[in-house]
Amino acid sequence: MNGTFGGLIRTLDGSAVQALAVRLLSEVPGFPPMIQTVHLLGITAIMGSVVLIDLKVLGLAIPSQSTPDVIRRLMPWTWCALPFLAASGLVFVFARPNRYFVNPVFGTKLAMLVPALILAATLQVMSAKNPGLWKEPGAARVSARAIAAVSLLLWIGIVLAGRWIAYADYLFTMG
Amino acid sequence: MADLWMWLEGLPLAAYIGEGWLFPFLESIHVLTGTFVVGSILMVDLRLLGLAAGRYPVSRIVKEIVPWTYGACVLSVVAGLGLFITRAGHYAANPAFQIKMVLLVLAGLNMGVFHLVTVRGIARWDDAARPTAGARFAGGCSLLLWIGVMLSGRWIGHLL
Repeated sequence: MNGTFGGLIRTLDGSAVQALAVRLLSEVPGFPPMIQTVHLLGITAIMGSVVLIDLKVLGLAIPSQSTPDVIRRLMPWTWCALPFLAASGLVFVFARPNRYFVNPVFGTKLAMLVPALILAATLQVMSAKNPGLWKEPGAARVSARAIAAVSLLLWIGIVLAGRWIAYADYLFTMG
Repeated sequence: MADLWMWLEGLPLAAYIGEGWLFPFLESIHVLTGTFVVGSILMVDLRLLGLAAGRYPVSRIVKEIVPWTYGACVLSVVAGLGLFITRAGHYAANPAFQIKMVLLVLAGLNMGVFHLVTVRGIARWDDAARPTAGARFAGGCSLLLWIGVMLSGRWIGHLL
């Protein structure tokens, strides 16, 4: 078991944390779908904040509200959802580290998540430093729109990849 | 009904979806669009409850957000139907699926009542940070019903 996550898997495998996660998932009735629903509600908050902000910055949604106001009001939802998303996701990762850390789809999801979060923070900082940037045509607004476009694609990719984690075997044993 | 489920499962399309990459693909689209449906309607619900965006009129929030909700909803229903026909009989008999359908109908009724009845007096509370009791009730019901739809929807796969 080598690779980037080899050490993590060795640490988790057989640990008390893993035992606890396995017990919760297998012995508490309805625990898996309930925790998955927490994860889905976290994604829902992401959709209602950073994804909607991206659509707004691209000029596609919420025309009557100002962009800096939309960013200021909605972005906290993303940051508040993250701990819930991480905690609900980690329960499954801790229970079966082998299923996730060697899974290329899980790796792809994380690889998209890191830049997506950086772009979200960048957009928020840009807007806070210069709330007027959305009204003046120029390099700053063009780069903000480019950030929003990439961010939107990344979040779509993250959600799709999340669902595909369970189908990685199917994807990579074809042919 | 059993005949209808049999007929749906017998469609070449059902076999085509069930056997290949289309099933997980549609499932991931269903999750993407479903979370967007709830994420967008959540904004309207919170405004109706008087918990967010108090400075914007309710009618404007509804007008600018709900078309996105409907668009995502159409995609989600199409993807969901694609999933359903692969094992129509099984899903129809699945308690989680049945609960999800009941909650969806209730969410639809809640929306219908809001748009046909509650909204009539909107001029009086459109700009109010805290809308009228009827509007707050609709927002609260919507919020709870959609959380229920997600929970029961996610539970379907654990009962098959």
